[in-house]
Order: sequence, then C-alpha cells, then structure tokens
Amino acid sequence: MPLTRRGFVQFLARGTGAAVAVGVAWKASVSKVFREVLPSRSLAPGNQKWVMVIDLAKCDGCRDCTKACTAMHFVPPMQEWIKVFEITDNEAAGPYFLPRPCMQCDNPPCVRGCPVGATYKRTDGVVIQDDDRCIGCRNCIAQCPYSARSFNWGEPPHTSEELARPYNVEYNYPHRKGTVEKCIFCPEHLRMGKLPACAATCKMGAIYFGDKLDDAVTNGKGETIQFTKIAKRGASFRLMEELGTEPSVYYLPPASRKYPAPDEKAQTETAQAAMPGMAH
Amino acid sequence: MEAREQNLLRSVLENTWRFYVWVAFLIAVLLWGLYAYIQQLRDGLIVTGMRDQISWGLYITNFVFFIGISHAGTLISAILRVTDTEWRTPITRMAEAITVFALCIGGPMVMIDMGRPDRMLNLFRYGRIQSPIVWDVLGVSTYLTGCILYFYIPMIPDLAFLAEQPRLAPWRRRLYSTLAIGWTGTAQQKALLEKAISFMAIFIIPLAVSVHTVVSWIFAMTLRPGWNSSIFGPYFVIGAIYSGTAGVIFSMYVLRRVFHLHDYVEELHFRKLGLLLLAFSLMYLYFNINEYLTAGYKLEGSERMLMQRLFVGDYAVLFWVAQSVCVFIPAVLMIAVLGLKRYHHYTIPGVVLSSAMVIVGAWAKRYIIVVPTLRSPYLPSGQRLPWEWTHYHPTWVEWSITAAAVAGFALIYTLMVKLFPIVSIWETREQPEEVSVFELPDESAPSRWWKPGDVFPILAISALLLCGRSANAAGPAKPKTPKPTAITVEWKTVPAAQAHRESAADESTPLLPRARVFMYTGGLFTPETSPDHPAEGDLKPSSPVAVTATLRDSSGAPISFKPVEFSAKTRLGTLAFGSRPTLADGKAQLVIKDQRYGTYPVQVVFRGDDEYAPATFDVAVDFGVRPAPSLPKAGVLITPYATPYIAVPFLLFYGAMWVAFLYAFGYLILWKMRKFSQAAVAPEIKTAPAAQGA
Repeated sequence: MPLTRRGFVQFLARGTGAAVAVGVAWKASVSKVFREVLPSRSLAPGNQKWVMVIDLAKCDGCRDCTKACTAMHFVPPMQEWIKVFEITDNEAAGPYFLPRPCMQCDNPPCVRGCPVGATYKRTDGVVIQDDDRCIGCRNCIAQCPYSARSFNWGEPPHTSEELARPYNVEYNYPHRKGTVEKCIFCPEHLRMGKLPACAATCKMGAIYFGDKLDDAVTNGKGETIQFTKIAKRGASFRLMEELGTEPSVYYLPPASRKYPAPDEKAQTETAQAAMPGMAH
Repeated sequence: MEAREQNLLRSVLENTWRFYVWVAFLIAVLLWGLYAYIQQLRDGLIVTGMRDQISWGLYITNFVFFIGISHAGTLISAILRVTDTEWRTPITRMAEAITVFALCIGGPMVMIDMGRPDRMLNLFRYGRIQSPIVWDVLGVSTYLTGCILYFYIPMIPDLAFLAEQPRLAPWRRRLYSTLAIGWTGTAQQKALLEKAISFMAIFIIPLAVSVHTVVSWIFAMTLRPGWNSSIFGPYFVIGAIYSGTAGVIFSMYVLRRVFHLHDYVEELHFRKLGLLLLAFSLMYLYFNINEYLTAGYKLEGSERMLMQRLFVGDYAVLFWVAQSVCVFIPAVLMIAVLGLKRYHHYTIPGVVLSSAMVIVGAWAKRYIIVVPTLRSPYLPSGQRLPWEWTHYHPTWVEWSITAAAVAGFALIYTLMVKLFPIVSIWETREQPEEVSVFELPDESAPSRWWKPGDVFPILAISALLLCGRSANAAGPAKPKTPKPTAITVEWKTVPAAQAHRESAADESTPLLPRARVFMYTGGLFTPETSPDHPAEGDLKPSSPVAVTATLRDSSGAPISFKPVEFSAKTRLGTLAFGSRPTLADGKAQLVIKDQRYGTYPVQVVFRGDDEYAPATFDVAVDFGVRPAPSLPKAGVLITPYATPYIAVPFLLFYGAMWVAFLYAFGYLILWKMRKFSQAAVAPEIKTAPAAQGA
C-alpha cells in the first residue's frame, strides 16, 4: 500500500464510522439487554418514603430506643442497631447525644458494594438486609461510614420466642452466625401503621418518624408535625452530608440542649413543650 | 550442553532426606492451620480477633499480600519477554511459578475470611457486577487461569523432554507425555509455541495491572478515611510488583542454593533484578510519600485521627518499622551494593537481604493499610464496647491460618520444583521470538432516559358540599343546650401559577416520569437539579390546596368569627394545621402548601362554646398523585441488576482476556500444534478427534 494522504483520511473515516456504528448498536441494544423493571422484593408493600427526624436537643441519652429495638428484634449482645453516641464536635460546644439508626441512605454505599444483593434498597426507602443470602464478606461494614452494621461473629444466643418465627427480612430474626445485620426501620410495624420501636419508645419524643410523601412525622408521644417545616425551620442536617450518601434520617441540631438524668425525665416531659428546636 | 541439562534435571530426579523433612514440616504446619480453620468453621469468626469495628484483619492482609506477590512473577516474566531481554530465560519459570502458587493461596484467603463460606455459590447465583468483590472474583479467576496457562505453555517442550527420561518413574513419564500434548519440536510447533507465549505475555500484562487495581478498589471504593484515595490503584500495583520482584529474587536465591544452580542463576541476575527492585522501591517510596504527605499535611477532619495513630499513635511503631523495612532500608542497602563499586562483591547477599526485608515489610504494609483505617471510623463506634471489641489483636487461629498459608505456598512450590524443572531447559538453549500488539475495542457511552408518557395530573374539584351531618351533632345533649351546628367543607387545589411563580412552560411540560431503575449515567448526565426542580430531584412540588369550611347553625345561617380547627390524618399520626376563624359569611379558609401527595382525610372541628354545639366534618382531600414507587434517583449503582456502564467495560475487558486465552491455548496449542506433531513425526498415529481446549 502506498502512503497517501487520501488513504490515511479514508483510514480515519473508517475508524470513525466503526465507532459510530458501535455507538448506535449500543444505544439500540442496551435497554434490551439490561433489565430495568424492579424485582418484586424491591417493591415495598406500600407507596411510602420513610424518613426519620431526630431532635438532638431533646435526646437525653437514656438509650431507651436501643433497649426497645434490642427487645423487639432480639438483637444479639454487643450489637446496637440504634446506637446512642456521645459526640463532641469541639471542646467549646461540649458533648451531646446522637442516636444513630441505619441512615437508610438513598445512595447507600452498602448496597452498592454488596456482591450478592443481600442488602438492597426498597422503594419505600428502607435498605433491607437479607440474611438468607448474605455470604458474610463484610464489605458492607467496610462501606458504611456510619458504622451502622454489625456482624454475627459467633452463634448468637437464641430465645424460644425468637426462634418461634421463620426468618423474614422485615424483622430480621432468627439471627444467624456469619451474617450481617442492621436497623431496618421496623417494616413489620410500618405495615401495621405503627411507629418503629425506637420512635414509639422515646419518652422525650426526640425521634420523629413518618412518610415523606405524607409530609408529616410523628413521635412516640403522638405529636405529628409537618416534615418540610420542621426540616426547614429546625435547620435540619443529615449526618456526613458531604459523603453524598443521601440519608433518610434528619437531625435537628442540639441547640439549647439540656440533659436531664433519667430520674429527672418526668419533670422534663412536662416542660418539653416549651423547648425549642421543635417548630409547633 | 548435556551436562547442563543433567544438572537441571537433578532437581526433578533426586530426592534427599532434607526434602522429606522439609515437606513433613510444611504438612505439619498446614494440618495445624486446617485444625484452626475447623475451629473457625465450627464457632464462627468469633475465634478471630476481628469484631464489628475492625472487621477485616489478617486474612484480608494475607489476601492482598499474596495477590501482590503473585504479580511479580508473571508481570516480570511477561515484561522481560515482551522486551526480549535475554538474561531472563533462567528465571522466568521461577517467577511464573510464584504467580500461580501465590494466587492459589491468596484467592482462598478471602473464602476463609467469609462468614458463610457455605454460600460461596451465591456469588455466581446473585453476583452483582457493581460490587468490587465481584470484580475481584472475576479478575482473580481470570488471572489465575491466565497464569496457569502462561506457566504451562512455555513448559511444554521441557515436559516432552522429561517424558523421554528413562530414569523417571513410569507414572511420571506418562503424566509428562500427556501434558506435552504431542510436542515433537518441529519448526512449525516452535513457531506456534512462540506465538502463543508472546500472545499470552501481551495479554497478561494489562490483566496483572487490572487485578491488583481491582484489589485496591475493594478499599478505594469505600468512604473510609485512608482508603478513600484515588491513587490506590497505581499504589497497589507498584507495591505488588515491588513485593513480587522481591519474591522472585528470594526464591531465586533459595533455589540456587538448594539445587546448586550457580551456572544458570548468576550474579548478573541478582544485579539486574536488584536494579529493578531498587527502581520499584524508589517508586514505592514516592507513592508512599504522596499518599501520606497529602493526608498528613492537611490533617483533614476524618483523616486526622488516622494519621495521628500512624505517625505518633498506637500504630506508629509498626508504621515506621514497616516503612523502614519495606522501603527505606532496602533502598539504601541496594544503592550501596549496586551503586558503590567497593561494595559490588556484596551484590548477592545485599540484594537477597533487601528482598527478604521487602517481603516481610510488604506484609506489614498491607496490615497498616487494612487495620488502622478500620480502627478510625467516622463515628466513635467503639463507645461503650469492651476494649477487645475495638482493638484488633489477631488470635492464634488467625496466626495459624496465616502460617499455614505461607507453608502451603512453600509446599506447593517445593512439590512443583520436584515435579517440573524450575529452570526452563529449552529456553536456556536458545533465544525467543518477537511479538505483536493487540488493542481492546473502544466503547462510547451515550446517556439514556426512559420516558413513558405521564402527565402531571390536573386535579378535579370534587364537590362534597352539604353532604352529611356532623358526627358530634348526634352526641349527648349539652347542659346549656347550645344550638346545634354543622360544618361543611369544600376544597380545591389552588392553581399552581397562583402560588408558585412557575413558568408557563413548566406547567405545560409534563414532568419526566422516573424509570423504575436508574442506570447510573442516566442520572449522571442528566442535570440533577434544575431551577424548577430543586435538589429534591424526584418530587415536583405539590399544588397548594385550599380547604374552606362553612359553619352554619341548624337553620342554615352562617356562624361568624368562631375558630375551627383543621387537621389531617396521616398514616402514623394526626397532623394539626391549627385553627382559623370563620368570617362574616361563616367560612374559614386554610391554604395548605405542604409537600404532600395522595388523599388524606381532613378533619375540620368546631369545638363549640356556650352558644353553639361542637361539630366535626371529615372530608377526603386529594393533595396530588403520589409518585410511582421507584428506587431513589440519587442512588448510584444500587440497582439489583447489572448496570451497563459498569458491566460492559468489566465484561469486555475480562471477556477479551478469556478470548485471548482460548486463542492462545485452545487454538494455537491444543488444536494447531497437535496437527503439526502428527504430520511431522508419526504417520502410524491416526488422526484422532482433536481435543478442543478451553
């Protein structure tokens, strides 16, 4: 072949043509090859988008939420599906309590990283954990920036009550060795129109829970407030927003906080209506 | 010539008592590790030192270490082959062997780390290509296959040579002649073999780079401080080649001593590989400085704790020792023995000592990468947990399994050396051929968007006027007998233009309905936020709803200036909107501008007073259509199915590798080479149906 300009241009043109052909074929075939209708397990029983609002100004660190959660899900020892941290952002601000359930992220790193789809996002926003499928690789634990996941390192202690029911992802027990577990927003309660165990138990009414599409969140004391209003007026934030995980759990800042000891809680309850941080 | 070959064959032909003692020792260690693993299978991973906070430990360290060691091998031998370096011939087989056996040990380390190894097959039943773990399964299995072929193909002439050795046991000779697949050494066969080898060498290089990159992505694809780093891919690849080169040098030294291979493995080889090792050590030093200085200079929030732990805190001793042993000391040592003329005679001990230090240091370095990061999460997840749950101390089980892994590696290597000649016999006689270059196909990536027609509904005003009396009106009579009252409620959606200053264009354009599954780039290339649709992304602001309550007495006359309360019943509670006074016409209006979707029972209550009895009215108010259930648009790569923009590149890359293997081994070696053997050597052998390999 002689070296000609024309030949080289033709060579380039053929290459471009091939690239275009590949692009067209891709465009035409990609939606046929890759499925996009969700499988049934990803479809929630109802059309909701669950959100939680935790008012840090009200949390006194009593850990009743943790206890209620542990009792309801028979959570094995050393695990806390909703864990109350004592956080000190800076010395001047001093410590405050931060209850941390699973954030049920809209962009969940755990779901992204799960090799077998044992953890998956449901249309109601809950990140479900399926321990029938989990292989125990613990990549989700490495992925989760909130440390919201726990592993059954050994055989968890069982109670007859726990073993009485067959395993279901909506309550996530009986617990099994070698699998990962976490908070799942109590889908079983939600089905029945009840609040999750932690929100229902919180005596301070610090944990609000509801459907974002209802634009209303309710706490354990039966107070229902408008979600968009509380989120906006309360200057709500989400934990580690900068990571782009898009959590479904919103926090109201611990402004003007008071931390009564558990025995003082009764008095606080009466006074709490006047406490700030809760619009209306 | 003949003497040289006999000398090489000695390793295959002769066994000494030392060999048996060594093998017995390795088997003992292996059995001990097996015992430990059985303990772990029985009781669970509780027998290890790992806990929720530090959930990966020695096993993952070993995995990364062995995969790293494995790079040596093939990558070095492939690069040396492709660049046609002549001094490589005696050492390529050692290097390739290291690769294969390190992979055989490294791969299972992940299985040992798994909580449910019995569910291994879920990886194939439910595998999600979006997960870095699946990338690893894909990468490591492809790489192992490639390395076995790359180890095996250049050995074929030697196998044929061994099959003719009368001093060997008959079963071994049969094995060799089977494995030699009809090699007779004709010119065509040699050409084919060279072609297959160079083909494999070309493909094994990007494959090896990809495998350790993918290993690093297990860490780099997380949000953890210390792992969330974009240089992890090349950092791991360089670290892997570095430790692998050290592995090759060390094994060269051991084999040279044990089998007296001084004629083949000369000081030249230590010198050349030492220079390579020195170059890699400097590159690794550069990567380390880059990695730790950028983090340590800024001490950004989440990384601050990690850096303090590493530089001055509880991992400081390990960190500095590991860095010294892995990088600083070997680099200085090698510069001395390779660079300074007066120390040249220390080349072999200097380089070998360096490589031994590099191997140990590389392992410690992997540990430093895995554990301290997990120890430093964003949230203080160790609060109110016992000390041993937040501090990682490997238990005897983990150490035993680690020891067994090393022993297993040594054992396979030892047996391999006994079974196959460790120095290529045929290649040390002659020079290799040249290679050709191949390219991978390129993909363009257009975005796409699924659009079923769905119009934002214009809500009908369903009149519910004057229907029904209030429930409370039928209640027990009040002592003062206030006049009975009735509330009627009507509601309508306020035209969107009235409440929101949205453009007419937006009103007429139907909102793009969401696909059920968002295909990552579909969301990536579509603007997430437009002026009309704020970051919420998925939800269009619902239209405000005006609820008007009319309060009348029994005669139908409006009751003015009385408060009526509005509330809506939601799924989990009752949302109070507050109260509004009725005006002169008895009407009280409330405009609800909430972001609410769906139909809700709205209750309007008049509490009653001395004059008028209480009254209640319930009405179902439609706030707008709920969006169809779907996964959140913000979710990246969370779909249950394969996402094309991740699946296609990975499958294309590794698929191309498998096609290359099939061509080089299945076609060139199994199919074509056999034919030439039949034609050339034995007319009496009938044309048997040719075996098709894969």
